[in-house]
Amino acid sequence: MKVEGTYTFPAPRERIWALLNDPAVLARATPGVKTLTPQGPDHYAARIELAVGPVRGVYDGTVSITEKAPPERMTLRVEGGGRPGTIRATGELRLVEQDGRTVVHYTGEAQITGLIASVGHRLIGGVARQIAGEFFKAVERELPR
Amino acid sequence: MIPASFEYFSPRTVPEAVHLLARYGPEAKLLAGGHSLVPLMKLRLAAPRYIIDLNRIDGLSYIREEDGVLRLGALTRHAEIEHSELIRARYPLLADAARVISDPLVRNMGTIGGSLAHADPAGDWGAAMLAAGAEVVAVGPGGTRTIPIDGFFEGTFVTALRPDEVLTEIRLPRAAKDAGGAYLKLERKVGDFAIAAVGVGLLLDGGGTCQQVGIGLCNVGPISLRAAQASRLLSGRKPEESVLARAAEAAAAECDPADDLRGPADYKRDMVRVLTLRALRLAVQRARGGA
Repeated sequence: MKVEGTYTFPAPRERIWALLNDPAVLARATPGVKTLTPQGPDHYAARIELAVGPVRGVYDGTVSITEKAPPERMTLRVEGGGRPGTIRATGELRLVEQDGRTVVHYTGEAQITGLIASVGHRLIGGVARQIAGEFFKAVERELPR
Repeated sequence: MIPASFEYFSPRTVPEAVHLLARYGPEAKLLAGGHSLVPLMKLRLAAPRYIIDLNRIDGLSYIREEDGVLRLGALTRHAEIEHSELIRARYPLLADAARVISDPLVRNMGTIGGSLAHADPAGDWGAAMLAAGAEVVAVGPGGTRTIPIDGFFEGTFVTALRPDEVLTEIRLPRAAKDAGGAYLKLERKVGDFAIAAVGVGLLLDGGGTCQQVGIGLCNVGPISLRAAQASRLLSGRKPEESVLARAAEAAAAECDPADDLRGPADYKRDMVRVLTLRALRLAVQRARGGA
């Protein structure tokens, strides 16, 4: 399952890069995060509670930033699971500055197993994009007005 | 599979149901036909603590034309729409859509209101209602409001309904004499969700040009989609083949399908083009008085 998209921030790249690397911002902006505990440099343990319509699940997992090229690129790895199934995903964020604004291009690839994969396979792409959109909107709200 | 335990309520009136919803909020789910919710509960993907069953509320199941609108009660079963003489005679878009929803067992239980409130992008009613230009009626603690269908679907399984509102009715513009509609669905096998499906509603005015064109797309995006650009290409034009073909191409460009078990995105996009073209031809033919 692949997901990709873009999001434009009304702020310069250095600013957005700083937000995306701030654990407190990530904890506030990631949909459903109950806890986000640093486990070492660029490595976090997370507990996430997500409700997609009637399907509610609690997922425990890890998020690691595996590669960084400030302020333009980072690669992430997410692994986790809960009753509905497990997810292993890698993603890349590329930040491009355009006239004082920042366009984030995101691409991700996920292997999903368990019930959610057999029942919800057709919905996962759309839901992933929805969650990515909510995340970037929440990051944007962190910008000072 | 056995669902997780839950507390069960069967209110007799809409205000009672609203009161229960307001009280139990996000832990509660409304039960209408149950053919989306119950399978999820059996798999324990959904485990609501409170079930509020709407089936004991009288007066939520009806199909009637009054005051220039067609009113459909939220608890009206798909099969009741499928077999309604009024729908067959005057609302071909709805008749087509009702006939191809899942299988007879689901159609006998599932409800139009439940289907819309569930907001699955593969739900056939979502695309059909966009094509028909419907409104949804919701009752909450503060009273009744109507929600235009265009703002109703906010995300996969997410609607504009507030957590304490009950969807009670769907309203459609009353069928005009020169209205036409069609709903075409491509499926791998009977009873499956659509690979792609397209609903069309339109009018032909006295000069034979298309007016009030609505095109809804099913299961080719994260929500039920309206093909707005395709509709604009048709509005005020005569439905010549070249115009229909351009509109069909526009609809294909507007959809947002994902690669999945039902096929690659490019294939689905092309099927949207084909289905839109065929549905438009059929709707025009029906508007001119053909079958």
